[in-house]
Amino acid sequence: MMRIYQWLTGCAALLCMNVALAAQPPDPLNSVLWDYTRNIFLGDVDYRFNPDVRVDVPAFAEDPTQVPITVDARALSGNIERIVVWADLNPIQHIFNYFPSELASPKVSLRIKVQQSTAIRAAVLTKTGEWHIGYAQLDAAGGGCTTPSMGNADPYWQSHLGEVKARRFAADDSEGARYKFRVIHPMDTGLVDAIPEFYLQQVELKGPEGTTVVRMELSPPVSENPVITFDLDDTRSGYTLWMRDNGGNEFEQTL
Amino acid sequence: MKKLGRSTGFAVSALVAAMSFATVAQAGITDKDILADQMTTDDVVSYGLGPRGQRYSPLEMLNTDTVKELRPVWSFSFGGEKQRGQESQPMVKDGVMYVTGSYSRVYAINVKTGDELWEYNARLPDGIMPCCDVINRGVALYGDLVVFGTLDAKLVALNKDTGKVVWKKTVADYKEGYSLTSAPLIVKGKIITGVSGGEFGVVGKVEAYDAVTGDIVWTRPTVEGHMGYVWKDGKKVENGISGGKPGQTWPGDLWKTGGAATWLGGTYDPETDLMFFGTGNPAPWNSHLRPGDNLFSSSRLAIDPDNGKIVWHFQTTPHDGWDFDGVNELISFDYTDGGKTVKAAATADRNGFFYVLNRENGDFIRGFPFVDKITWAEGLDDKGRPIFKEGGRPGNPADAKDGKKGESVMSAPSFLGGKNWMPMAYSQDTELFYVPSNEWAMDIWNEPVSYKKGAAYLGAGFTIRPMNDEYIGVLRAIDPKNGKEVWRYENYAPLWGGVLATKGNLVFTGNPEGYLMAFDAKSGEMLYKFNTGSGIVGSPITWDMDGEQYVSVVSGWGGAVPLWGGEVAKRVKHLNQGGSVWTFKLPKGN
Repeated sequence: MMRIYQWLTGCAALLCMNVALAAQPPDPLNSVLWDYTRNIFLGDVDYRFNPDVRVDVPAFAEDPTQVPITVDARALSGNIERIVVWADLNPIQHIFNYFPSELASPKVSLRIKVQQSTAIRAAVLTKTGEWHIGYAQLDAAGGGCTTPSMGNADPYWQSHLGEVKARRFAADDSEGARYKFRVIHPMDTGLVDAIPEFYLQQVELKGPEGTTVVRMELSPPVSENPVITFDLDDTRSGYTLWMRDNGGNEFEQTL
Repeated sequence: MKKLGRSTGFAVSALVAAMSFATVAQAGITDKDILADQMTTDDVVSYGLGPRGQRYSPLEMLNTDTVKELRPVWSFSFGGEKQRGQESQPMVKDGVMYVTGSYSRVYAINVKTGDELWEYNARLPDGIMPCCDVINRGVALYGDLVVFGTLDAKLVALNKDTGKVVWKKTVADYKEGYSLTSAPLIVKGKIITGVSGGEFGVVGKVEAYDAVTGDIVWTRPTVEGHMGYVWKDGKKVENGISGGKPGQTWPGDLWKTGGAATWLGGTYDPETDLMFFGTGNPAPWNSHLRPGDNLFSSSRLAIDPDNGKIVWHFQTTPHDGWDFDGVNELISFDYTDGGKTVKAAATADRNGFFYVLNRENGDFIRGFPFVDKITWAEGLDDKGRPIFKEGGRPGNPADAKDGKKGESVMSAPSFLGGKNWMPMAYSQDTELFYVPSNEWAMDIWNEPVSYKKGAAYLGAGFTIRPMNDEYIGVLRAIDPKNGKEVWRYENYAPLWGGVLATKGNLVFTGNPEGYLMAFDAKSGEMLYKFNTGSGIVGSPITWDMDGEQYVSVVSGWGGAVPLWGGEVAKRVKHLNQGGSVWTFKLPKGN
């Protein structure tokens, strides 16, 4: 149903275009692909750059196949429909979508692959239909998306696919909890010759009653053996992690 | 969904949502469509053009007069560097072709243009153990699903519009040597599959899964002594031991790793409501280790699709010692004898004999050699059991001085068989079977062997050689009523592709040299040939669209033949690999 909703709101936005000219501030990072990627992920709609949507990246990506990034949109907590994260200059631009529920604290960290130095964007769609864009410039050596996964040289993943290691921490500045997990998966992009794309597509963190608290949609630029950290405004235990990859494999693990 | 990639993100998600609204009204493929496949000429929705597997089409726009005007309209490359044997039969429904490639790949193609709609590439583990090339023989279609078996022994159901995985089920453990290569069979809302792996001491089985949900319904082992099961309300319930109890036709514990892999899938006859599955060689190849008939290896099994019970069996090679791996398809057909309709079924076995059986009860009606030379049997008795020839079986290693290598014998046919996997066709007009066969022999000797999980379990050595300088392959027109060979076409390289017969009095097949060929069904005269650029080892199909008749065939040399050396190698070593589908049509006005 989510998709239908998106489709309808997309159409509605197009109709509005005739009435008011969209506010389209220039890109502070001056990326040549800003207009192109913005159109793909937002459509031709109003947006604003908002420093409250924080995108943290390292000063330099030592290993372009494992670049830690953090997206922190807690300033807009409670008003978030979804967060879309992409890299302008990656051959596969989309990295992940993040859908929080009430109990989620909208901060997420994970590792990604980059093909070259690029702008990283986090676009937050609020429940009132506004787009707030966070961004960071990442300097990197090239090749993260077209390097064969480690799993290609080592068959370890074949007998351990989907195995999860998870830990729970106290959140840094709130009452909530933080979950960090690592899952064995090659996350192949399909851009390496003779290795088909094979990656986790869906991740859901479910509360003790089985309701989904955080939902994510991943794309192949998420690093091999993904390490993902979620923050929650919930200290109860009994959380479960559910994942599914594009090969139809499903994994479930109590955290 | 390779074309509409993630990189286009939301815009495409919205588009897909919009598209799926438009297609809701369009009904998916039903059991009725599959049962009627042979007579509905505008689609091909089953492996074998109808569940009986006759590979006969009532189309006649293409005929002995017009076939010379047949011309290619598009060719589609499977891409990548994965150019290995392409043994698939394409399916066509509502303007879309669904076809598999080597290494567990599936493609959806616009049949008008040859454009790719989507492709699915299974990510296979390195440890897969296909014995005889990384092939696949095709998909099954049901509802909105495209279902196929992978080389790591999984059934994967894809959405027919997007190519995305709907469900995936593990049929067996690939680390034990199992794989899936045949096209699944759809019967009464169930997906029926066999398994490959007879060279690794697996236990063959036939399994049924719910065609919508993928939930398992029943499993039937094909080696005497193993328990079958049905699932009732999600609970696994015992459903009788195959053959009643262990130890009747196998010595000791050998039945536990008995082979009898059902690697070629099966056919279904709606009239008798029976499925027919062939079973492969008993394991190991060294027959001196397993005195007895070794049921149900090298047999045809009639199986009840509702519960997986074996209704009857017919064993073509009891105590098989030559890898006469009798999986060959059993094709249902009717004929009249003295004014009475006989409900028959026919099969051309690896062992060189052609059998006509009563398909209601498995009784032997008649059998005869369809190859020029058979060294291992004098003939068949009145029950169809072979009369073994003295000295025809490779010697027992235990009788050798060093106990290591038994006496070698020359045997015809070879282990690759008088006819291998490649399906024959039955014409309802000429009432002849068109059998793709090969004339070759082998030297074979036995050695001691013991079972080790995931390792080849043969206990035999062998080489293969041609029997004639001019040809190995022979396409034969055979009369099932009297065993007469009506005509033959001889081919230099071994034939390894399926056959198609049409009401236009034509017989189509391909050869390793790359040619798609059409023959006059009555005389055997070759009326058309076209080189597809690599060897043809797949099965051709035909259908009509917008008033024109089409023919499609996959091209891509490979399969078991190039994997075995011997003297046959020099006939095929110059053949180049490929991986494509060719589509031909007879343009309007011809």
